[in-house]
Amino acid sequence: MDPTAGTQTDQTDRSAAPFLDLPIKEVIARFPQVGAILSEYEVGCVECGLGSCLLRDIVGIHDVSPEDEEALMARISGVLFPGQDLRLTLPRRTRPEEATAEPTATAGTAATGSTATESKGGTKYSPPVRQLVGEHVLIMRLVNLIPRLLAVLNLENPADRELVLQGVDFIRSYADRFHHAKEEDILFKYFDETKDIIRVMLTDHDTARAHVRAVEAAVSAGDRAKVAEHLEAYAALLTEHIKKEDTILYPWMDRQLSTAQVGEMFRRFAETEAATGPDFAERYTQSLERIEEIVRKREESEGGV
Amino acid sequence: MSAFEGCPGSRMIDLRTPETADDGAPSVTAPSQLRQWPIQLHLVSPAAPYFQGADVLLAADCTAFAVGAFHNDFLKGKSIAIACPKLDEGQEEYVEKIRALVEDARINTLTTVIMQVPCCRGLVALAEEAVSRSSRKVPVKAVVVSLQGDVLSEEWL
Repeated sequence: MDPTAGTQTDQTDRSAAPFLDLPIKEVIARFPQVGAILSEYEVGCVECGLGSCLLRDIVGIHDVSPEDEEALMARISGVLFPGQDLRLTLPRRTRPEEATAEPTATAGTAATGSTATESKGGTKYSPPVRQLVGEHVLIMRLVNLIPRLLAVLNLENPADRELVLQGVDFIRSYADRFHHAKEEDILFKYFDETKDIIRVMLTDHDTARAHVRAVEAAVSAGDRAKVAEHLEAYAALLTEHIKKEDTILYPWMDRQLSTAQVGEMFRRFAETEAATGPDFAERYTQSLERIEEIVRKREESEGGV
Repeated sequence: MSAFEGCPGSRMIDLRTPETADDGAPSVTAPSQLRQWPIQLHLVSPAAPYFQGADVLLAADCTAFAVGAFHNDFLKGKSIAIACPKLDEGQEEYVEKIRALVEDARINTLTTVIMQVPCCRGLVALAEEAVSRSSRKVPVKAVVVSLQGDVLSEEWL
C-alpha cells in the first residue's frame, strides 16, 4: 500500500520530479535548509536514524495537513530550485474507503460541501495496533532493566547466568515469536514490504535476533564483556525501533488500513494469541516481574540497604 | 437561531443558507448502498445472512439526514442497524441485539455514527456495553458528525 496513494495526476514539473524519489537523507545532505524546514513542520527527518524515506513519502508518513503540505512543498521547492519557476507537488492522499468510493461531490451536504473523509479528526490507534503498542510497554520494561541488570551482573554466579538466560527467553518468546511474529506475519502483509520504512523494521528484527544469539553464546563462554556489549546494543536498537513504530510507523499504517482490514487483523491477532495459549502473555509478564524483583534485591544487597 | 435554552438535542437551529436553496441545478442520483431490509435495530435479526462476519454500521437515526454523502461515506460495504438512543424504548433489548451481532453473527467490526448532541452518546454507550457483555470482542469505532454533516471525530474505542 502506498502512503501517497492518490487519484490525481502528479502536477510536479517534469524536471523537478526526480527529486521526489530521492531518499530524504540525501536531499538534506545536499540541501541542509530542507532539514530545517521539515523541522519547522515537526517532521523529524534530521534526527531520524533512518533517512531512507523518499521525499515524496514524507508528507504521507508524517500526516502533514493539506494546508501545511502546500506551504512545505513550496518552501522546499524554493530551496531546491532557487530563482526557477519549478514546483514539487504531491498526488492527493486518499484513505482506503475513499479510494474505492464513487465520486460524492454532488451528494455532499450542500451547506458545507464537505465529505466525511475530508474532515477526519485525530485518531487513536486501532485496537489491533493498540495491542502491539501495549506489548511494547512490556518489552520496554525489560529493555529499561538492562542497564540495572548489567550493573549487578556477575557471570561467575550460576544464578546470574540463569537470570540473563531468563531475559533471553523473554526476548525470544515474547518480544520475537509472539510480538514480532504478529508484525511480520500479519500487520506488515497489508503493506508493500519493499517500502524502505518496513524493510528497515525487518532488518532491525534480524539485528535484534543476532544480538540475542550473541548474548546467549557469551553467557555460555562466560564472557561478561560480550554479554554487556550485545545487551546494550539490543537495548539501544529496541528503544529506537519501538519509538519509530509507536510514533511514525503505526500511526501511518493505521491511516492506510480500512475498517474491514482492522477487523480482520484483530481477529487474526486473537487467533495467534489463542494458538500460544490463553496465559502466554500473563506467564511472560510474571517472568519479567521475577527478573525485576531479583535485580531489585541484588541492588539492595549491593547497596547495603 | 435559538428558540429556547433547553436540551441541546432539541434546540431549534436554522441551518438555511443561500447555498442550500434550490439553485435550479439538475439533481444527481446517487446509487443506494443499502443491501438489506429491515434496518431498525428492533427489527433486524442477528441471524440474517448479511450480518454474518460483516462490518456493521450502527447509525443514530438523524445521521443519515445530516450527512449528504451518507451512503458512500458510511454505508458502503457495511450492513446497518439504526436506532435513536434518546427516544427509542427497549434499550436493554438493543444491548442484547448488539451483543448477539458480535457473538453470534461474529461481525468483523462495529462502527457507530452519532450526532454531536450529548444524548446521542448513549448509542456508543449501548455498543460498548454490548461488546463488554460478549465473550467475543470486535473493534468498535465511534464517529461523531455535526448538525451539518461534518465529521467532528472518528476514533477507535
